[in-house]
Amino acid sequence: MPSYKLTYFNGRGRAEISRLIFAAAGQKYEDIRIEREQWPALKPKTPLGQMPVLEVDGVELPQSAAIARFLAKQFHLAGKDNLEQAEVDAVIDTISDINTAWPASSSDEALKKKFLTEDLAKHLQNLETLGKLYGKGGHFFVGNQLTWADLRFYTFGQTCIEAAPDCLNNFSWLEQNRAEVEKQPKIAEYLKNRPKTSF
Amino acid sequence: KNSIQTTLMPSYKLSYFNGRGVGEVSRLIFAAAGQKYEDVRYEVDQWPAYKAEMPLGQMPVLEVDGIKLPQSAAIARFLAKQFHLAGKDNFEQAKVDAVVDTIYDTYKAWAPSRFGEDPVKKEALSKKFFGEELPKQLQNLETLGKLYGNGGHFFVGNQLTWADLFFHTITETLLGINADCLNNFPWLKQNRAEVEKQPKIAEYLKNRSKTEL
Repeated sequence: MPSYKLTYFNGRGRAEISRLIFAAAGQKYEDIRIEREQWPALKPKTPLGQMPVLEVDGVELPQSAAIARFLAKQFHLAGKDNLEQAEVDAVIDTISDINTAWPASSSDEALKKKFLTEDLAKHLQNLETLGKLYGKGGHFFVGNQLTWADLRFYTFGQTCIEAAPDCLNNFSWLEQNRAEVEKQPKIAEYLKNRPKTSF
Repeated sequence: KNSIQTTLMPSYKLSYFNGRGVGEVSRLIFAAAGQKYEDVRYEVDQWPAYKAEMPLGQMPVLEVDGIKLPQSAAIARFLAKQFHLAGKDNFEQAKVDAVVDTIYDTYKAWAPSRFGEDPVKKEALSKKFFGEELPKQLQNLETLGKLYGNGGHFFVGNQLTWADLFFHTITETLLGINADCLNNFPWLKQNRAEVEKQPKIAEYLKNRSKTEL
């Protein structure tokens, strides 16, 4: 049994997807949360000067998507064959595109508002399109079972809703998808007990 | 082709622009694997007529036995796994993914300097990218190559993976703009040379048309 250590800030951000995968799998791991003041001293010790970092039996892996995909494959939450895994990856990349397009750290409030009121809906429509294309008529994004695509959308959806509470009002399939994730017993338990953080 | 062959051998159709961009890594994977596929290329003015056929109105799209897959990284990773160019086990595949993600970060950092609207702004962005951001990313990539490369010239595990192919095509574009940009990174230069030495890749590169992007 490999030993897993995940290091990130004390927040959801780019690490929560991996924490949700560990939770869904019922897998123990070291959940290291770094305060902002501790980070400058730690930064040069990480492979790319970034977090999250996953340490597996002493070997370090950077890049949040690479980490999450590795864990998803370890715990059979990645899709049941190569093509399903590719469909899951396509959903993941589409969510990542939304993060790239979202000017979240901009000081231009008008620009941020424009994104939330005009652009976000187009991106969410793309996600519903993929869910209906790959979901085999069910509530999960791919292949009628939970994958890390659903867990990733779950945590991303929380960020959207916190920024724009009605953002999913016109996307009932996406709302239902999040509800299905929340219903999973190990996820429900994790969500109940996890630290409440601002990001 | 009899019906058993058709069932066992998937048919592949890749649709993209007539250029390298983020689609070329998949063409390189097909070439390295010696795998035939339909290489559909649209000129920029033809593309709008086909946009509605693509799941997200974007390219590249890979059609595999009638199923359409968008997103260049998902496509390339799928193909790399089909043809054993993704890393030999889950952890090696994760190392390959980490390298690929770092190359994508480099590409995304470069893109505004090439694809924006304002030429003055683009010039400033380009200077900042080549002067500051690119050296940082290249250092990160060398770090990963030395961490995961088992002492060899390839990024992961001492054998060719799609991380090496992706690095080759993205840096092809950057070298076209600034021919000296890898001068301080001999490991990365050697990695590109190793890719070019692979017989099937050498053949493919010899016959491929030169495009700016």
